[in-house]
Amino acid sequence: MIQTILDALSYGGLYGLAALGIGLVFGVMRLVNFAHGELIAIGAYLLIVTIDLGLPISISIAVTGTAILALLMEFSVFKRLRVAEPSVLLIASFGVSVFLQRLYEVIFGALPLSGQIAPWMTGVIEFGDTTITRGSLVTIGLALVLLGGMWFFIEKTTLGLQIRAASSDFQTARLLGVRSNRVIGAAFVFSGVLAAAVAFVLVTQRGSVDPLFGVNITILALVGTVIGGLGSLQGAALGGFAVGTTISLLNSFLGNYRIYTYTWLFILVIIVLLVRPGGLISNKAVKERV
Amino acid sequence: MTQILEAVSIVKSFGAIRVLEDVSVTVNKGEIVGLLGPNGAGKTTLVNIIAGYESQNSGTVSMDSRSLDGLTPEARTHAGLARTFQSGRLFPELSVAENIVLGGIGVGESTKKANRRALDAIELLGLGDVTSEPAGGLSHGLSRLVGLARALTADPDYLIMDEPAAGLNDHETPVLLTALESIRVESGCGMLLIEHNVGLVADACTRVFVLASGEMLFEGTPHDALIDEGVLTAYLGDATMGLHGGRA
Repeated sequence: MIQTILDALSYGGLYGLAALGIGLVFGVMRLVNFAHGELIAIGAYLLIVTIDLGLPISISIAVTGTAILALLMEFSVFKRLRVAEPSVLLIASFGVSVFLQRLYEVIFGALPLSGQIAPWMTGVIEFGDTTITRGSLVTIGLALVLLGGMWFFIEKTTLGLQIRAASSDFQTARLLGVRSNRVIGAAFVFSGVLAAAVAFVLVTQRGSVDPLFGVNITILALVGTVIGGLGSLQGAALGGFAVGTTISLLNSFLGNYRIYTYTWLFILVIIVLLVRPGGLISNKAVKERV
Repeated sequence: MTQILEAVSIVKSFGAIRVLEDVSVTVNKGEIVGLLGPNGAGKTTLVNIIAGYESQNSGTVSMDSRSLDGLTPEARTHAGLARTFQSGRLFPELSVAENIVLGGIGVGESTKKANRRALDAIELLGLGDVTSEPAGGLSHGLSRLVGLARALTADPDYLIMDEPAAGLNDHETPVLLTALESIRVESGCGMLLIEHNVGLVADACTRVFVLASGEMLFEGTPHDALIDEGVLTAYLGDATMGLHGGRA
């Protein structure tokens, strides 16, 4: 039972990190960035190909590389589409996603690339009759530290205040003189850092990475951001946490019928959205003539 | 250098509809100028052009001899031109204090300086009791005062206020009037006040412009405006209305 709860919390934390990464960019740009999955994938690739340099260096390279790729996406594609409709941004992010998947295929191959990142995370800790996987504890700890760090940054720093303002009403934030490119760039960088953290947890669990590595969690994290309330950063983290926790609990309770996990998940998602169409924490952006 | 905000010979059309016809407005530093006119007179279009939200078909906008034409609204904000909006246009999830501080941070001030200015503006406008409340829960009138406080935190050279007194109660309107006079004296900020509250305009402004159907009907003192037959007919619609007739 304890392991079930810890698994649920660790899944929740992992999906919360992924959803917050997506929510940060959506908040300031109204961009549903499907290419977030490819940020997670590059983080995993970098971890595996540099692990021989030692875990701390490998993690540093993965975090830096993922953040740089996130910024490159912004500068090379999305910055040029500032005045475009959200649907255009959405299709552009699809394009970036598919392009990067093919690029990874060319560079790293289409087959999974294997590597042991942190084998100690797969072990168990015994408390009397109860065994707990180290991976669950590390994931929960990592999620707490990163979500806490992001909360501090967003709530207590000047740049965080500007990001919150831009997430609430981007046009008004710009009219006040807030440097939009700086705020958007910061959102992409932090989105990349969170993607690298997700990559670390996922690649230690799976032991391999392929070009489609980040697609599944990105789609489910997007569901989390919608449930949480599009445009709300707290909502994104909460929605992602809810989705991850629900998946883990359904997997556990359904046992041999776990193939129906996603069926039940999406039934619950539809019910939540029918009850609260704006998500758990809705963002009522003010629109009026100027 | 002449310290003046000027919109000269502004012409604006939306398709075939001419909404501003050769309209000029000036605001000197340290002066409060009123812009009056009935609904649909073109007031909001004119201030949108001055603040850079819309572009004019012809005419020029300049501030302290520097042309603002072609500059984005945010560039004009950084240059020292701030504005408030009809309903505050606040960030509803942020607290009142955070909304106000953003006015300074937006124009690049340090957090310390922005905080200090925000505290001054909060005190000036009597907002001390609501600083920690979410801005989304404020009344209409308080939202406008917070919007004004946010604009003041940017320490502008010129400030355009779009109906700041709408929604204010009998206690809040005198506070606003005192605050405007205090801002004028202490910061030397030039202010363009768009307002339907004729009494407030008469008390606060040294000059008024009256727009009607996109044309400038009158320029002069508030007193002269309110006894001008053309203004009373076009704007008030009732020539017998008194000088301090309140809301029109």
